[in-house]
Formats: sequence, C-alpha cells, structure tokens
Amino acid sequence: MSASIQTPTQVYVPFRAGLPPLIGYWKTLWSRKTFIAEYSRSELRDKHFDSFFGQLWLILNPLLLSGVYFLLVVIIRGSSDSARYVHLTATLFLFYLISNSLTGGVKAVTSGQRLILNTAFPRIMLPISAVVVALFRFFPTIIVFLVIRTILGVSFSWQMFWAIPVLLIAIILSLGLAITISCINVYFRDIASFLPYLTRTILYLSPVLYEASSLSPKMLKFEILNPLFPILDSWSRVLVHGQAPETSSMLIALTWAVIIFLVGSYIFLSREREFAVRL
Amino acid sequence: MNLPSVSNSTKASEIAVSVRGLGLTYTTSIERRPTIKARAKSLGRGTKHTRVIRALNDVNLDVEYGQVLGVIGSNGAGKSSMMRVIAGIIPPTEGRIEVFGSVSTLLALGVGFNPSMSGRDNVLLGGLAAGMTRDQIEDHFQDIADFSELGDAIDAPMRTYSSGMYSRLAFSVAATVRPDILIVDEALSTGDAKFKEKSLNRIKELRSDERALIIVSHAMGTLRELCNDIAWLNKGVLVQRGEPNATIDAYQDFLQVKRSAASDEDV
Repeated sequence: MSASIQTPTQVYVPFRAGLPPLIGYWKTLWSRKTFIAEYSRSELRDKHFDSFFGQLWLILNPLLLSGVYFLLVVIIRGSSDSARYVHLTATLFLFYLISNSLTGGVKAVTSGQRLILNTAFPRIMLPISAVVVALFRFFPTIIVFLVIRTILGVSFSWQMFWAIPVLLIAIILSLGLAITISCINVYFRDIASFLPYLTRTILYLSPVLYEASSLSPKMLKFEILNPLFPILDSWSRVLVHGQAPETSSMLIALTWAVIIFLVGSYIFLSREREFAVRL
Repeated sequence: MNLPSVSNSTKASEIAVSVRGLGLTYTTSIERRPTIKARAKSLGRGTKHTRVIRALNDVNLDVEYGQVLGVIGSNGAGKSSMMRVIAGIIPPTEGRIEVFGSVSTLLALGVGFNPSMSGRDNVLLGGLAAGMTRDQIEDHFQDIADFSELGDAIDAPMRTYSSGMYSRLAFSVAATVRPDILIVDEALSTGDAKFKEKSLNRIKELRSDERALIIVSHAMGTLRELCNDIAWLNKGVLVQRGEPNATIDAYQDFLQVKRSAASDEDV
C-alpha cells in the first residue's frame, strides 16, 4: 500500500465539456468487457432466451415478421416470387439488428440508473451491451435465412463472403445509433415513445419491402441520406444475388457508419460524467 | 497542496482521501422527466427548464488511513453528494479530490441494477461494473450470501425483495469486498435489530489501520460508538470537524435551536 501512497490512485478534477482521456477510458472499458458479456447473457436469460421455447421464439419471431411483410408485398404487387422472399428475409433480419440496437439502446442509460448513481464505470458500456444483445438475437436469424435460401434453391457463391464486411459496417452503425440515442434519452425521455415511428419510417425508406433497383433514379438520389440504404442494398446483393457489392455503396455505408459512431461517441463521452446528476 | 508526500511518516497518518476546495453545482431539470414536450413548453413560455443547485461549497477534508469518519448533517446538506464525488461518480465543479486506494461505496456494487434479475446476477453485474473480475466476485459470493442471510431468495428476482432484504444484500456486498476505503451511506439504519447489530459488528471488524471508513448516518448513537472523527456538513459547507462527542453535541445543539425556533413560529 505504501507504494500507492506517493501517487493518488484516482484524481478527480472539475468536469469540462470535452472528452475524457481516451486511452485511459479505453483501458477501463476493456477491463470491464466481462460486464458487457455477462450483462447481455443475463438480459437474454431475463427474456427466457436460454430455454428451448425462448430460442424457438428467437427464430419464430423473424420468420413470422417476414411472412407478414411478404403477405403485404404480395397484396400490393399482386404477385411475388421466391427471390423476393429471400431478399425480404435477408434485409429484414439485418434491419432488425439495427432497429433492436436502437430500441435496446434507448433505455440503456436511463434503466441503469441505480448502477450509475452508485458506481464509477465507463457509461458507454450500457449502450454497447444493448448492441451485443441485439447481435445475439441476430445470429440465429442468419441460420434461418441460410436454410430458407437453400430450400428455395438459390445458389451459393463465394461472393457471399462479402457479407462479413457489410455486417461489420452494420455493427458500427448499430453501435453509433445505440450510443447516440441512449445519450439523447437522458435529456429527452420521450424520445423512446417516438422511436417506433422512427424505425418504422426508416424501414419503409430502406430497400427491404422492395429492391433498390426498382426505385426511380430520382428517389435513389435522396437515398444517400439514409444510412441504412447502402448497407441493406449491399447485403441483399451479396446474400441474395451472390454478387460483389458496389464499391460506391460500401464507401457511403462505411462513411455514414463511422460518422454516426464518432459523433455519437463524442456526444456520449463528453456528456457521460453528467449522467449521474441528470438521472 | 503536497500533503500526501508530507504526511506519510507513520502508517496511521497516511492520507486516504484528500478533498481540496471542493465545490459542486448541479444543473438539474425542473421537470421530473425531461422531455421534448416539456422543453418545447418551457421555450414557449420563456421559462427556464433547468435549475442550478449549489450542493457543496469549498469543502476541505482529509481522511487518513485508520480513521473512521462519520459524516453528519441535515437532509440536503450535501453528504451523499460528497460521497459520490469521492467515489468518482460525479465530477466536482471546483477543487481537487485525490484518492489513495480502492474505494467501495455501499450500495455501490450497484445492487439492484436490474430488478427482474436475481440477487445473484445483480451482485455479479454490479461487481463487474465496479471493475472486479468474475473470479474475485465468485470468491466473495458465498460470504455475501451467508452474511445477507437471504437463503434461497438470492436466486429470486430482486423485484420480489422487501426493502430490508434489499439493503441487507447491499450491505453484505460492500462489507465483504474489503476495500481500502469504504463509504457507507445511510445503510446502517436498515434491516431489523439483529441485522443492524450484525452490520455494526462487521463495521467494527473492518476498522483497521490499513483502511479508511467514511460513514454517513443520522444515527448519532452509532456514530459516537463507531467513529474516531466526525465531519458536520450544513448546506454544502463543512461546519465542524473533530472529536466525535464534541461535534455531535454541537450538531445536536444546533438542531435543538432550530427546532425551538420552528416551534416558536408555530405558536
């Protein structure tokens, strides 16, 4: 102990707007990675996803969703084919990764109130955990998708491995969105009630119920403003059509994801020391 | 300002926490739930949507290893705020706080983080958030469960706990981890008589030259018995610091004066 006496183990000085020392922050965050894993595990267990029927529900839920949306597409367009269904399931499942990150992230900080009021830890762990939960719910759907794809006889191709970078971009975007919205929710609690409308709007603006190629060029121009558009479009290209994604849409997707992640993290990190007072 | 390097001659006078010129100002929302709706309303009316609260004002306080410091004061005096600043949960607005050692705040390991999870999960999660490893927590877990006397309830969701069970678990967590610096905020007066005595005894056990204890409480009798030093806060200012009996007597005299003034007004 006498060694630690010479230098303080912790020094707390006034808070100014701006970032905490990033290297130190990263180190404390990294040392608490088991928290993130454990939190996601108990969160899943809490929703009974550790039981057989719970896991069945994890698979059944996206299947039912895709069935409902497919019905919608059939009714609106009069007819539809299996390729469209494969496209719908692929993009819908990825869309739900992002939207589950948002809905999980929005209350991540405010529901961690007790913990925040009593423990010093990097608050960003909470929205990150929400994204990890969404990821755990996403993985079973990939398997479901591959099964559907095989049953419907869509051929496999090596280009499908492009799905990995696309998924990585989607994860960066999910993290950015979850971090941003969890921070906004501290200051504006009603954002959680707006969220369903927001995700629904984004769903209809994204190439899920339709394919990007069926949009008019005029609409396509505006879609550069939708961060999810290039991700879902590339995802469909890669997994449904077995083609390499367009470089331009990959770059747009990456730019969007990184910008949202950086801006969101900046807002969060410069604000998080105030959370204890604001909750 | 170089206090730490000056005063490390004997073990007993090693500084655990040094608080210099601490000031704390909160900006809190006036609305109970800050919302866009409320913000728009206050904009429309031209009223303010936040208010500023001065919680602490130029507090200087050193806690040495071996000390058991009792913190007293009326409600809203800034006691809990000061504990949170020392624990690093709230950053100070002014001044500098140096902490020499590991801190555990009571209620700290965030017990009751998620009410729908079991007591066991909450202890684990709280411990992990506080920076402990899973092995460390599992080593302590049996002690925590035994001390809390919760029995099978430890695996029941925390929303089914009574407030007594709740605070028992919280106390057990904080008291079992054996940190260098233990902060106990208002937790001694919970639980039934038996558990109260048990937790008092645990606090007494924890007193040692290698540990600093900071206890916030309204139970003056307990503080007289436990502490070797008392700090009295009033409205964010450190009024008096010193020998327990003298300080508590002064505080109680002060309360007495206030009370008679209030009762005079009533007549």
